[in-house]
Amino acid sequence: MKKGFFSAFLALLFCITLVIPASAESDLPRLIDQADLLSDSEEAALLSQLDEVSERQEVDVVVVTANSLAGASAMEYADDFYDDSGYGFGEDRDGILFLVSMEEREWHISTRGYGITAITDAGLEYISEQFLDDLGSGAYASAFTTFALLCDDFITQARTDAPYDADHLPKEPFEVFGGIITALVIGFVVAFIATWIMRMKLKTVHSEPMAENYIKTGSMRLTKEKDLFLYRNIVRTKKEKDPPKSSSSTHTGSSTRTASSTHTSSSGARHGGGGGRF
Amino acid sequence: MAVIQEYKCPCCGGAIAFDSTIQKMKCPYCDTEFEMETLEDYDKELKTERPDDMKWETASGNEWQNEETEGLRSYVCKSCGGEIVGDENTAATSCPFCGNPVVVMGQFSGAWKPDYVIPFKLDKKAAKAALRKHYEGKRLLPKVFKDENHIDEIKGVYVPFWLFDADADANMRYKATQTRVWSDSQYYYTETSYFAISRGGRIGFERVPVDGSKKVPDDLMESIEPFDFSEAVDFQTAYLAGYLADKYDVDVEQSIKRANERIRRSTEEAFEATVQGYATVTKEAGSIQLCNSKVKYALFPVWLLSTTWNGQNYLFAMNGQSGKMVGDLPLDQSAYRKWLFGLTGIIGAAVFATSYLLWLLLL
Repeated sequence: MKKGFFSAFLALLFCITLVIPASAESDLPRLIDQADLLSDSEEAALLSQLDEVSERQEVDVVVVTANSLAGASAMEYADDFYDDSGYGFGEDRDGILFLVSMEEREWHISTRGYGITAITDAGLEYISEQFLDDLGSGAYASAFTTFALLCDDFITQARTDAPYDADHLPKEPFEVFGGIITALVIGFVVAFIATWIMRMKLKTVHSEPMAENYIKTGSMRLTKEKDLFLYRNIVRTKKEKDPPKSSSSTHTGSSTRTASSTHTSSSGARHGGGGGRF
Repeated sequence: MAVIQEYKCPCCGGAIAFDSTIQKMKCPYCDTEFEMETLEDYDKELKTERPDDMKWETASGNEWQNEETEGLRSYVCKSCGGEIVGDENTAATSCPFCGNPVVVMGQFSGAWKPDYVIPFKLDKKAAKAALRKHYEGKRLLPKVFKDENHIDEIKGVYVPFWLFDADADANMRYKATQTRVWSDSQYYYTETSYFAISRGGRIGFERVPVDGSKKVPDDLMESIEPFDFSEAVDFQTAYLAGYLADKYDVDVEQSIKRANERIRRSTEEAFEATVQGYATVTKEAGSIQLCNSKVKYALFPVWLLSTTWNGQNYLFAMNGQSGKMVGDLPLDQSAYRKWLFGLTGIIGAAVFATSYLLWLLLL
């Protein structure tokens, strides 16, 4: 009896684990630095940040660096890496993966489950703008930290009734120092003009170069009036062809701006995201 | 003998030749093509040009009669050398030009007698009020400057003017352009047409005034113009009663230059205004001949106030007829700095606060 109960409990536990796939938190590292871009201390700090965010939000936030994509596209590599490693919380395998490949100098963000909802195409463009400078200049730790912070922010916001999207993105921080300098420069220019007007009021003596007050009224007679055409010349300049609009560095598909475009990965899962070069 | 006619290209100035293939005149240097008649006309225009003639008939002037000068006294300022005339009852206590109180009285001796005088229309009270108004609304004026004591020293002075009458015959040549812009699928086209414009005619000037006193700055006098000459009367010494009069010390010959400058500018402007319908008009050449010229000597009424501040002399003048008041005022440097930096701070703070509010509300 007792043994039967125990085995029934085990079976139930097994069923539960089948229905709700275990989150990756226990066994999968959320930072895989294959290209060795980070120092040990940076790695440790970033990993703890990723773990903290992922567990609190119950959405995996993963950073992967690779030396080469080995022929695959960045999107395929990122999607497959995510699917094959088994990242993702819950039934929908909620998560966001940030891939950087050094040989091609490409990056890609792959989203799945709630990650697709949290990070729309517009959001992705915004996030990439925030880290691309760092990524391009080799400040990888800073780029990844920014990415993790923004993912946290976006997921939090997505759970409220005002998720970040094209018409609602996080505020740029207010530039206090630059703001003061700009305000003072504007203030000085306006003050200079205002005091210049005050100074001009002090000066009322101007010599009068004309004598138009002393022209006898109606005394002007035109006796000769001749307009002779001499020659003409024509200058021709070639029209500049409008250059085709350079495609945005982010691959966001052709869907509307206010949604997340998705595609199906090789394993058949629905992924969102986008990427570009750095 | 046939005269060989040589034409110059109006475009680049090179010698131009007939091109038999196009049956037109063509410039070998700049490839511009012309009709034969165009060049003939253009050449005719060039040949009618005459040099300027801006000479004046200066033989004028009434001499003083002995009995007229009897009641007049001449005052000479030992400080600035200014010589003024007043009737024997007018006591000049200080020089109206430099404010110096040392004035020596002497016997008046005549040179030219004025032809006309415009009598004072506004009295000292009006002049004081105008000066007070002149100080108003000027935030950078030193406070001590508004001191009433200065205002009391305002003096009515007849300032000598030379009046120039003449008709100006002008012959002007301009180069003008018209532009037309269009485009087809591949190119933008800009077509510029060049024209030679000639204008000739006559314009009359009446009594262009030039300040005949060295002590009163010319620009100060030009700033209180115009005087309404319809109120002028033939000169009588009686008009000097109660006022001072300055004797001219800039003669006609020296004043002609200034009169010519002003007549030339106005003539050129008047004729250029008749060239219309072009995108650009550039004066190429022009000459002005004066005829029927006459010069008259007149006294115009001016209220003068001379004052010294920080070692510098300031002279204010009011048109004694129209009431127009002018005079450069000194700048209070410390007040200027206060305003400049104060406004910078206030406006800067306002801009900063506004940008912060905008950042909070929008973005």
